[in-house]
Amino acid sequence: MSGPGEPGQVPSGPGPAADGTGAGPPPAVALRIDHLSKNFPGTRALDDVSMAVRPGEIHALVGGNGSGKSTLIKILAGVYHGDPGGTITVGDTTLAADHTTPAKARALGLHFVHQNPAVFPALSVAENMVIGHGFETRPTGSIRWRALRRQTQALLDRFEINVRPDTLVNTLRPAERAMVAIARALQDQEGQHTGVLVLDEPTASLPRAEVVRLMGALNRFAAAGQTILFVSHRLDEVIDTATEATVLRDGRVAGTLRESEITEDRLIEYIAGRALDRMYPVMPTASSDDVVLEARGLVGGPLQGVDLQLRRGEVLGVAGLLGSGRSELLKMIFGAYAIKGGTLAVEGRAVKFRDIGDAMAAGIAYVPEDRGTEAAFLSQTLADNVVASSISRYWRALRLRNRTIDSDARDIIGRYLIRASSEKQVMGTLSGGNQQKVILARWLSRRPRILLLDEPTQGVDVNARAEIYGLISQAVGQGCSVLLVTSDFEELSRVADRAVVLSGGRITAELRGADIEPVRLTELAFSTQEVAS
Amino acid sequence: MTVVTDAAAEEGGRSGGSPAPSGPATQSGWKGRDRVLDFVERYALVVLFIATFVFFSVWSKTSSTFPHATNIKNVLGGEAYSGILALAIMIPLVCGEFDFSVGNNAGLTQVLCAGFMARLGMPVPLAILLPIGIGAFIGLSNGNTVARIGVNSLIVTLGISSVLLGIVEWYTNGQSISNHISPWLTNIANDEWFGLPVTLYILAVAAVIVYYMLEHTPYGRYLYSIGSNREAARLVGLRVERFVLLAFVLSGTLAGVAGILLVANSGGGNPQAGQIIDTLQALAAAYLGATAIKPGRFNVLGTMIAIYFLAFTVTGLSLAGVADWINSVFDGAALFVAVLVSTIIGRRRAGTS
Repeated sequence: MSGPGEPGQVPSGPGPAADGTGAGPPPAVALRIDHLSKNFPGTRALDDVSMAVRPGEIHALVGGNGSGKSTLIKILAGVYHGDPGGTITVGDTTLAADHTTPAKARALGLHFVHQNPAVFPALSVAENMVIGHGFETRPTGSIRWRALRRQTQALLDRFEINVRPDTLVNTLRPAERAMVAIARALQDQEGQHTGVLVLDEPTASLPRAEVVRLMGALNRFAAAGQTILFVSHRLDEVIDTATEATVLRDGRVAGTLRESEITEDRLIEYIAGRALDRMYPVMPTASSDDVVLEARGLVGGPLQGVDLQLRRGEVLGVAGLLGSGRSELLKMIFGAYAIKGGTLAVEGRAVKFRDIGDAMAAGIAYVPEDRGTEAAFLSQTLADNVVASSISRYWRALRLRNRTIDSDARDIIGRYLIRASSEKQVMGTLSGGNQQKVILARWLSRRPRILLLDEPTQGVDVNARAEIYGLISQAVGQGCSVLLVTSDFEELSRVADRAVVLSGGRITAELRGADIEPVRLTELAFSTQEVAS
Repeated sequence: MTVVTDAAAEEGGRSGGSPAPSGPATQSGWKGRDRVLDFVERYALVVLFIATFVFFSVWSKTSSTFPHATNIKNVLGGEAYSGILALAIMIPLVCGEFDFSVGNNAGLTQVLCAGFMARLGMPVPLAILLPIGIGAFIGLSNGNTVARIGVNSLIVTLGISSVLLGIVEWYTNGQSISNHISPWLTNIANDEWFGLPVTLYILAVAAVIVYYMLEHTPYGRYLYSIGSNREAARLVGLRVERFVLLAFVLSGTLAGVAGILLVANSGGGNPQAGQIIDTLQALAAAYLGATAIKPGRFNVLGTMIAIYFLAFTVTGLSLAGVADWINSVFDGAALFVAVLVSTIIGRRRAGTS
């Protein structure tokens, strides 16, 4: 059951407006997606998604991590193909979803600004505007700078962006940079405000004040008749700016909200939804009050003073959005990220890790968020990957005990439920779930006192997820304490003894036991209240 | 380690949902065709080597000269220099860095060794060890710039190789140094132990040491890990900077040893010897070696086979009387093909293609 889903469906559909082509009022729908599905091997990213964006409106696409928003945008942009059967309609042109290409998307009038807009910081605003289009040149091949400056000025005026064409982009404020990217995306519109502007998390990396500026600009564009579809995880900006919001969850449309229906409560209800029945092991409950790890006033990166205590045999969840500093927090504890201020204590003794080796010696283990770039040695064998953190143990009498490594690796394959042909199998040929189990085995086989987990089940199928939590549960049973970061709040609520919410660089809330509940966590993590400092 | 590590790591990072075959497929998949393919990959270079050897032994143009003991010994002993240079360039390659200065480094240590004996009358051991130490110092300077400051190793070592070339010109004035060279040293190139050239034993010792270091010490494993995924290596607690630095020092040291062998071979210090072309040949051997024995992975045995495959082929061709330019084309083509093939193998083995 997908909650109170379908009732909110937009009424427009393939109704009279679409049939009665020709002159008359503009079509009631600027962009329509019908029955769009997308299967990746092992996962269904989108499942029969239909939605419509009305002309001249700001439409928000909302959803948790892995809900399918990015996949949808990538299909629109022609980066991915949808599965056969789905269609994308812009104005009165319909395109089969399995035949999308970037060129076709452009021809349809879809203009994209991606999450980290590809602006060239060292070039001027004017150069950034034309870089993808080719410079206008004189017959001799030299660039017509004056014409370029004039055109850029006109464009900046049109979008009411208050910067000069000659300014270097790296001297602009973040919001202005985003606006330049938007103006660049829209400059080849044929008429004023045709087509659809698609923004993929335009505010993800902007500070709060900048968000307000950018949203103000979007409102102006929309008021002038521009249709905008934007992806966001900041609910406050969705509430403030969007006329309509489509919420995705697990690849399906969880619901569509219009105008006054767009409230924090309704959005969260749709985003968190009712969870899939997943199998989680029963975690041994924390039995001890010993504090294994304590952070006081930790400052660095996005963190502005984090206090937390981790007790022996406890699973402490850290709920926070992307960019909240949750990954940096783990890296600081692991000695892999510079600590600007505050103190750390392990088992009551103050520690200052000079490097990762120190943290490892103190019994800390860390499973990073991005397996491919931070954890896996994809071109090496499974055995190499398993022993990567403890090779020196196998160095005895001037020889590396390669045979012991192999037999230990075989043993680990069995104990950690890794599905592989042998310990010699190359890491990159294992499935995501099995790779993750290898990484976990790498650390758990060191019998750490403190295990730091960053999104341990990302890109992992349901069964592997259950197995991974089974393994973590075993370790906890043996007295290991776990600091768990995950954006899957359902998962968090199932496995954590206690959860803290990280927002604005600080811990803003703490939940225990039955209070750790997905809807509540979503609410707190998305919370717009700034903590008074 | 593999030649494509960066791309592999990046793509792997994106793959999230992982297109790799799951459980049963991988378990039963390692059969028949795969096993044959694996065998072919491992031993293709060996087979090619043998085939080339047989070809030149029976080809009418070379059959009278090529298979003779003298010729074979000449190649085996004469190529010890190239072999050590290939080992030198291989060590930084394992951790994903280039040392393009090995050829010119050998060129410098060579003229220094000869010069120390001829001009300064240094005792032989010192005249050998001091230049090797200077080679190591050049490696240290390269490694320091690359590992600690983070400059691209290709640029750094290419630049340094040009500097070294200049120093050689300055030191020798463009003239060979061939007087007062210790006969003990030059005899090394001519002497035989148990019917094989002494220089071959020197190469064998160097190869065994490097093999031991790469395969049987933690340091070797660390280098392969760093080459596979530097950030992951850091996050398992490896001191990446220090290890990469040391790789360059080892590379410079071996280049120094290669320079001494040059003196032994040519009986003096020749400003024309020890050039960038030698570096390229070493590079070709290392990459070609990465297609054999342990495909997708730089390895000592593969590199040694590659060095002698290249050497015997070039000798065969010149005995057949082909023009000299053929050699350059052959060396270049070998490098090209080696990089191509090892990239493809590495990528396939890493499951990213």
